[in-house]
Amino acid sequence: MISEWESPISRAQKAILSLSDVLGRPLPESVAYSENHALRLLHDAELCDEISARLRLPSSGAGDDTVCRWLYDTFHSMDPALQLAVLRFVPTIAGVYLPRAAARRPLPGYEAVLLALYAHETTARGDQPVTVTVPDLCRPSVYHEGAGAATGGELAVGVISPTLEPHGAVRATKRARIVGVALEMYCSKVCLMPARSKVDFCEFCLAWAGPTSARDEAAKEGGRIPLPWELIQPSLRILGHCLMGTSDAGEVQDKAAAAVRGLLARATLDVDTRAILATRSLLRAWEMAACSTKRWPDLDFLLEDPPSEGDATRELLPSPSLA
Amino acid sequence: MARSRQSMGVGFFDDEDGDVSFGDGTSSVGEMFGNGGCGKTVASGSSDGDGRMVDDGNIQEAESSLREGLSLNYEEARALLGRLEYQRGNVEAALRVFDGIDLQAAVQRLQSTFSEKQQSRRSRSRSDSQHLVSQHAASLVLEAIYLKSLSLQKLGKVTEAAQECKSVLDAVEKIFQHGIPDVLVDNKLQETVSRAVELLPELWKQAGHYQEAMSSYRRALLSQWNLNNECCARIQKRFAVFLLYGGVEAGPPSLAAQIDGCFVPKNNLEEAILLLLILLRKWYLGKMEWDPSVMEHFTFALSICGQTSILARHFEEVLPGIYSRTERWNNLALCYSGCGQNKTALNLLRKSLNRHESPDDLLALLLAAKICSKDSLLAAEGVEYARRAVATSQDADGYLKGVGLHYLGLCLGKQAKHSSSDQERSRLQAEALKSLDEANGLENRDPELLFVMALEYADIRNMNAALRCAKDYIDATGGSVLKGWRLIALILSAQQRYSEAEVVTDAALDETAKWEQGPLLRIKAKLKVAQSLPMEAVETYRFLLALVQAQRKTFGSFRNSFQFEDDKVSEFEAWLGLADLYSSLSYWKDAEICLEKARALQPYSAAALHAEGSVLEARGRALEALGAYANGVSAEAEHVGCKVSAGALLRKAAGSEWESLAVARSFLCDALRLHPASGAAWFNLGLLHKQDGRPADAADCFQAASALDDSHPLEPFNNLLPSS
Repeated sequence: MISEWESPISRAQKAILSLSDVLGRPLPESVAYSENHALRLLHDAELCDEISARLRLPSSGAGDDTVCRWLYDTFHSMDPALQLAVLRFVPTIAGVYLPRAAARRPLPGYEAVLLALYAHETTARGDQPVTVTVPDLCRPSVYHEGAGAATGGELAVGVISPTLEPHGAVRATKRARIVGVALEMYCSKVCLMPARSKVDFCEFCLAWAGPTSARDEAAKEGGRIPLPWELIQPSLRILGHCLMGTSDAGEVQDKAAAAVRGLLARATLDVDTRAILATRSLLRAWEMAACSTKRWPDLDFLLEDPPSEGDATRELLPSPSLA
Repeated sequence: MARSRQSMGVGFFDDEDGDVSFGDGTSSVGEMFGNGGCGKTVASGSSDGDGRMVDDGNIQEAESSLREGLSLNYEEARALLGRLEYQRGNVEAALRVFDGIDLQAAVQRLQSTFSEKQQSRRSRSRSDSQHLVSQHAASLVLEAIYLKSLSLQKLGKVTEAAQECKSVLDAVEKIFQHGIPDVLVDNKLQETVSRAVELLPELWKQAGHYQEAMSSYRRALLSQWNLNNECCARIQKRFAVFLLYGGVEAGPPSLAAQIDGCFVPKNNLEEAILLLLILLRKWYLGKMEWDPSVMEHFTFALSICGQTSILARHFEEVLPGIYSRTERWNNLALCYSGCGQNKTALNLLRKSLNRHESPDDLLALLLAAKICSKDSLLAAEGVEYARRAVATSQDADGYLKGVGLHYLGLCLGKQAKHSSSDQERSRLQAEALKSLDEANGLENRDPELLFVMALEYADIRNMNAALRCAKDYIDATGGSVLKGWRLIALILSAQQRYSEAEVVTDAALDETAKWEQGPLLRIKAKLKVAQSLPMEAVETYRFLLALVQAQRKTFGSFRNSFQFEDDKVSEFEAWLGLADLYSSLSYWKDAEICLEKARALQPYSAAALHAEGSVLEARGRALEALGAYANGVSAEAEHVGCKVSAGALLRKAAGSEWESLAVARSFLCDALRLHPASGAAWFNLGLLHKQDGRPADAADCFQAASALDDSHPLEPFNNLLPSS
């Protein structure tokens, strides 16, 4: 265990050193002798790929899994940069863990990491749910003046994430929630994550959705899992970022679009209305954005005569029935 | 000219067709300065060939000639020159010219003219003209810095570009400390300001400085920039998108922007929803063009936080002509079904599935069938929708055909439960199973299908097949769904394999979190009773009651939004179960206490009255017991237990002064109509026939009763279906 009073630098150094023990080889110099180990680690594609590959081994996730152990200890270092490096692997852990756990295999290694994340978030949130108050335009807001008399009624409150109850073990019925909270944490830091990690997530999402048409041979390999709202919701928020967030282009967007299409087809199979609304609108919004500008962000609108967006996209609207 | 430019709104200034054209290299006239002091100016542009060769030497030369010819100051001359270069596409050259502009000096000069102006408002004619001069000067310099920012951006120096752009806005704020004057302001100046305001957050985003992007969006929307509607709407939309998908948590807007009593969004999603609402309203009011993506972002935002009822309201408000009738109905149905208002959703689907509208919309058909499958009164209607869905999907996608068959089976099964004749019931049940089987062949391991099949098999008392499906369901869900565990335990209990059922229940208790354990504990208590272990059963009930009471105390209003309410055991049920147990042990006092507690929770409940009647009956107070049963039937006309008990009691009373075999028989037959699998009803009807001298009928009834008794689950399987 890494004790509390150590300086952040030495904590990071220790974590990095122990990683080289885990992997059984010295780390690349760029990481080992860097000023900012954690950040280097987060963006070292080769090293991260190796850790991901280790996490995906058929044998991993057991109680004595050294990579899981390292992730667990590193997260407990309470160093935000190191925790970020751990969160980078949330897609891989969730993606490998969920189908295996559904096959009822004991996987204490993965579960230890997931529970560490869950416990951290539970403490951070206290007893509070994450909610959204849907404003009423009759009342003035910072962005507009109120129109007419305020209705005076209570504002509607939507729940993004309900209150977290402490859990000491992953029970089957709480599995989706615990993984969902890990995804929520990933989502809150998603703009700092390297593209590779997001691509991993998109690929796992597609596998979770499972084959969604008789012609869909590629997805038949397995990996389909039950998708309750507590998994779909944070997944869609992450995918939304991958599609229309700030900096991703190319592979991330393509994979994310494929994942959202997969989830939409799955939601249709499940006739899950909330998921249909969310996935379908996300996909349509992205398609409209992709039509009206080439890649986002794009400053062309300020450099040339901008196309009037409404006209450009109206004809390209996806058909209203099944996407 | 100026007016046309403004009315374009989104149009571009300084393009080749613009009124101030320097772009084509020939000399052109620009009304640069509206006052007499400068008059019309002729900018003698160099010919195309020279233009490309502009270098530092030429710049200075051109600059000095401009300054002399037009009495411009140093900054203004550079601004003009730089713009010339920029328009020709010589970005680097333009940048070199712009680099020489000292913005701070220009700002100070302009600031002083403007503040002088504020004081000398009275000498109107003179000040107005002077005002215009300095406005033009300001416009020129600010535009130069704006173009500098664009040049930097084109050269890939985005961070520097953002800083320059920001300095434009800072300068505007310094020069116009009292806001940009609405009436007097030069269109050109306003346009530069608007563009800089709009550009800045995009530059910060491109540079990867997301926090700066966030604050510059807010600055754009919260400060007074005199933006026109279109520009403001564009910024609001981009900001909403950034908030929704950017993944950068911003924290609430600063306190400075908050006014008493106004709504301040406290997180990104809230702020995004607010902005999207404002955009939608602008459109309703005709202040901006319809942008379909706004509605999509809004849909995403509201469905993510589960507020689809509000979303429905906005779909209703969308002006005609945007969505087709059926599209609107279908969207509304999705929204209403998403927030549990299935009746409303079904009514809308009925409209859109009308044969004059779009009767073959697959998703609408499936959703309608799904909604109908939850309500036995709608099951027949659901069968129709499901059949149409199957037929429609025949040539489309095999997987959706499987879904259609799934709901067809479910609706048929539900219909079978309420069919009036035995023959029809078995026909429907067979058909239901056939559809489900076919669906199972098509769908790839859909757990819900397995669950429905297990229930259907259990209904026709094929417990082995039901058990197999239930086990498959547990495997497919990894044991993550509580109702799967309950189903297995109940099937085992129907097979009278109580100890195995208890093992399963214990395993399930290990796999579930504390708050969900209620239904399992209730089953466990009943299993103990069935195994004649009353004291252990009492212990389990105590545990259950403690859990339920703790649950009630800690229930926050938000806890349950992900779970369905029917996973919860009511305290009422627990007291009732315990009362039953005590009365079976003849602990009358304890039973009374438990009943008292139950009655306090639900005063007019048939189940409580039934339990009360049983206690009274067991204590030999038959008339009072009959009264309780009768009250139970009055409270709930379809309560099978009360009818069976009342019938049995009346039969037993044969020979007394209130003997009435006919009434007894009508109670029992009524009970069997409602619940044909009630063994107790068949048994009592048998006794009644025997008493009445119809041994053959009696034998039939006893046979039915004995067949049913062998496969009687501890709780009805129907409890596992979500209530509609």
